[in-house]
Amino acid sequence: MIAFLTFATIVLLFVVLVLISRASELTADLKNGKVDYTNQSKWNGYFLLASLVLMFVGSAVCFKVLMPVMIPKAVSVHGVKTDFLFNVTMIILLVAFVLTQVALFYFAYRYNESHGHEAYFYPHNNTLEVIWTVIPAIVLTGLIAMGMYEWMHIFNPDARDKNMMVIEATGKQFNWMLRYSGKDGKFGERIIDQAHISPTNELGINWEDPKSHDDFMSDKLYLVKNKPVLMKLGAQDVLHSFFLPHFRVKMDCVPGIPTEFYFVPTMTTVEMQQYLSTQPWWQTINPETNQPRWQTFKYELACAELCGKSHFGMEREVIVVDQSEYDAWMAKQTPMYQPPVAAVPATDSVTTKEEAKKPTAMLVTK
Amino acid sequence: METATAHATHHEHVHGHEEHHHEETFLTKYIFSQDHKMISKQFLITGIFWGIVGGLLSVLFRLQLGWPNETFPFLESFLGKWAEGGKISQEFYYAMVTMHGTILVFFVLTGGLSGTFANLLIPYQVGARDMASPFINMLSYWFFLAAGVVMFFSFFIQTGPASGGWTAYPPLNGLRDTAVNLGSGLGFDLWILGMSLFIVSALLGGLNYIATVLNMRTKGMNMFRLPLTIWALLFTAVIGVLSFPALLAGCVLLEFDRLLDTSFYLNNIIINGNLLGYKGGSPILFQHLFWFLGHPEVYIIILPAMGLVSEVLSTQSRKPIFGYKAMVFSILAILVLSFIVWAHHMFVTGLNPNLGAVFTLFTLLIAIPSAIKVFNWIGTIWKGKVRLSSPALFAIGFVSMFITGGLTGIILGNSAIDIQLHDTMFVVAHFHIVMGVSAFFGMFAGVYHWFPRLYGKYMNETLGQIHFYITLIGAYAIFFPMHFMTGLPRRYYTYANFETFNNFNFLAEFISIAAIIVFIGQLVFVVNFFYSIFKGRKVVAEKTVDGYDYANPWGTTTMEWSAPIERLHGNWPGDIPAVHRWPYDYSVNGREYIPQTEALKPGEVPHE
Repeated sequence: MIAFLTFATIVLLFVVLVLISRASELTADLKNGKVDYTNQSKWNGYFLLASLVLMFVGSAVCFKVLMPVMIPKAVSVHGVKTDFLFNVTMIILLVAFVLTQVALFYFAYRYNESHGHEAYFYPHNNTLEVIWTVIPAIVLTGLIAMGMYEWMHIFNPDARDKNMMVIEATGKQFNWMLRYSGKDGKFGERIIDQAHISPTNELGINWEDPKSHDDFMSDKLYLVKNKPVLMKLGAQDVLHSFFLPHFRVKMDCVPGIPTEFYFVPTMTTVEMQQYLSTQPWWQTINPETNQPRWQTFKYELACAELCGKSHFGMEREVIVVDQSEYDAWMAKQTPMYQPPVAAVPATDSVTTKEEAKKPTAMLVTK
Repeated sequence: METATAHATHHEHVHGHEEHHHEETFLTKYIFSQDHKMISKQFLITGIFWGIVGGLLSVLFRLQLGWPNETFPFLESFLGKWAEGGKISQEFYYAMVTMHGTILVFFVLTGGLSGTFANLLIPYQVGARDMASPFINMLSYWFFLAAGVVMFFSFFIQTGPASGGWTAYPPLNGLRDTAVNLGSGLGFDLWILGMSLFIVSALLGGLNYIATVLNMRTKGMNMFRLPLTIWALLFTAVIGVLSFPALLAGCVLLEFDRLLDTSFYLNNIIINGNLLGYKGGSPILFQHLFWFLGHPEVYIIILPAMGLVSEVLSTQSRKPIFGYKAMVFSILAILVLSFIVWAHHMFVTGLNPNLGAVFTLFTLLIAIPSAIKVFNWIGTIWKGKVRLSSPALFAIGFVSMFITGGLTGIILGNSAIDIQLHDTMFVVAHFHIVMGVSAFFGMFAGVYHWFPRLYGKYMNETLGQIHFYITLIGAYAIFFPMHFMTGLPRRYYTYANFETFNNFNFLAEFISIAAIIVFIGQLVFVVNFFYSIFKGRKVVAEKTVDGYDYANPWGTTTMEWSAPIERLHGNWPGDIPAVHRWPYDYSVNGREYIPQTEALKPGEVPHE
């Protein structure tokens, strides 16, 4: 009933609107069968100025209200630099934004026909064209140079620390499989063929490779502060994208094509919470948890490439700790390898187990 | 749709029969018409239909995004199983997102925009009686309609329409297996069929536009006397003809993977621990093929809007477009660059970093011709005598939106920054402003400006201005704050699973409210459009020659108003007028405007 009434009201409003507009058309000033727009131009000039003001006030409000809520500062070495690049670019863009929008709306107001002037025949000016080609070109050259330098540095394999840790993340519908290489620091071999891939060994780990015997799976991504890490990325079924928003890390996971991302975390989870506890917005109480927001802060891993109907649910907690804490955590992990019987991956979530129960014969036919 | 088209054109009394050499039936005049003006109306009205569908989809999924914890019982009454208990299902959410993108990018802003204005303006403004091949032109519309019918049909099948994103990435869309959790079943096959028909339509149309502009210009109409609308539509058609085939090839191979178990895009797919038999393909290959069209596609959308806006701003400012040749060459530069920037959509796919650097370079270079165009539009208004009617307002709105959206492109095009922003709401905000909203503004400017040419009537000015302010303020309210959701992944059904992303719920709600208001605001346009077709204020004749009434509602120099108010098949009753001057003689020699068809006075030097 309420839906119907709302609908009826909207229809009625439209009818009224049309009738009023029709009336305005009938009473318009006509000159030789054409509407004289002078009066309308005058009002629209003011309205455009008002829109401009509203736009700037709105933008300012956005900056004031939304900036504190945004994902906090970068906590990786390269992320700090790309954030800086973002900020520099943003400042340049804001200047261009304000100048061009003011010019556009102000000229529309200032030179609308209600001022009773004549238009000035001014078809071109090559000097001006050169100026407004060269200035953006110079600014862009600077931005391109800075961006390229940073980009090539992030993906330069020679710039990597030899002592980096290597973690393997494999995306599947709809969770992440995180594999650590264990005490020996070396991953067991993976073989993608019918003999190795099975519902109990989704990654196709070759258990005959002794390096696999201490590999373990984790349902949380543990990283060490200031310790470089190389993420070896892959996907089982469809595209996924390995996204660590706080670390400014994103790389697609592609079935059949290995990808990787190298970065250095710079703040532990606890340090980040302490930092946020000094930020006014993060001190406010979250009504859902009844705690200050900084207390429940955590780093997270997300999927950033549409991978199916539960794409939005591929959450994993990321925990950054000191080396000693990391070592203690690692000592407690159980390897996947179970000598006599078939090994069961330790991390399989509830969904996976349910899926594994389904009849699978029809899948193998392909 | 057919009924809508027929309805819309019913009002047109079949007058002027005596001038025609052959009697036209209802069927040949309104349905299987080969007249460019009628085909233009068909494209426009079909486009409006799709605009409403696409917009409605966005309102529905904004309900989910704005109020993820609420239920909307009324949804169940008309979505049925897709919204059980008033909660939009995950499958249908993704289907709506996918179809919203497909519909608006292809069916509204490509078919609806290019189809309408290329058909209307090319013959009128180059001085041709019709397109080079009116029959192929008709086929172009019918393939477009057939594509639409297939797409629309896919909403009503049991497994629902395509739901794997409008970009159709494999393997998600390459596997026809129900074992893949997202049903990329029959709906996606229909998507490929619909898109293939659409591409045929775009190619038929595009070849026709190019042939007409190059071969059928009237006497005296050399290339540098073409209005910028025609330049823009010509270059748009060139981009389409060169890039759409890549998507067609990509789609056909994708369908092979789906139906014939080939492995063009699939390799080592493991589902629940079962290795499927695909070997050796590359999912990334599809992305290359897709974006080889996909990126030029955004210029296919925005260039016609730029052309319309250039013409509208110049006419309504009573002042020549500033830097005509700079405008032409900047469109040309955009055309060339548009083909070598596609991989900026793939910065984080594991692409070779050297390629990423090259694509950053070209991507940011494209900002230069775009900036030139913006400065020239602002230069056009400067010291003009701007008539702030609906078309001018929308043209100004276009420039404003294009600036705002274009600027953030400089951030996204920089690969190092894009690592964080890729596939987040920042991208959504960017491309909606720069190619969605601004292309709509260009299209609206065009519709309000050329409505008298299409229907011999004006659209209602008051409703037009109400429509403008709702859209300008509303679109900014939706998309400006969205930039601050930097780092929030797009295509999320809810952010509730993440501590990190769950802070912006108040903003999502605000955006949803704004989106609903803007959608209702667009209905003002729809009402105005159909109302004006029937009851709009008529264009009054300014002079009558040989029994034909002539007028020039906006005082334009270009050729479309050198034809009678009545839309004759063949456009001009006698010979096609010759052209003597460039298209922007406004406020010159003490005249408000001098039509292109007016001969030079003795001693007058044409502006070249």
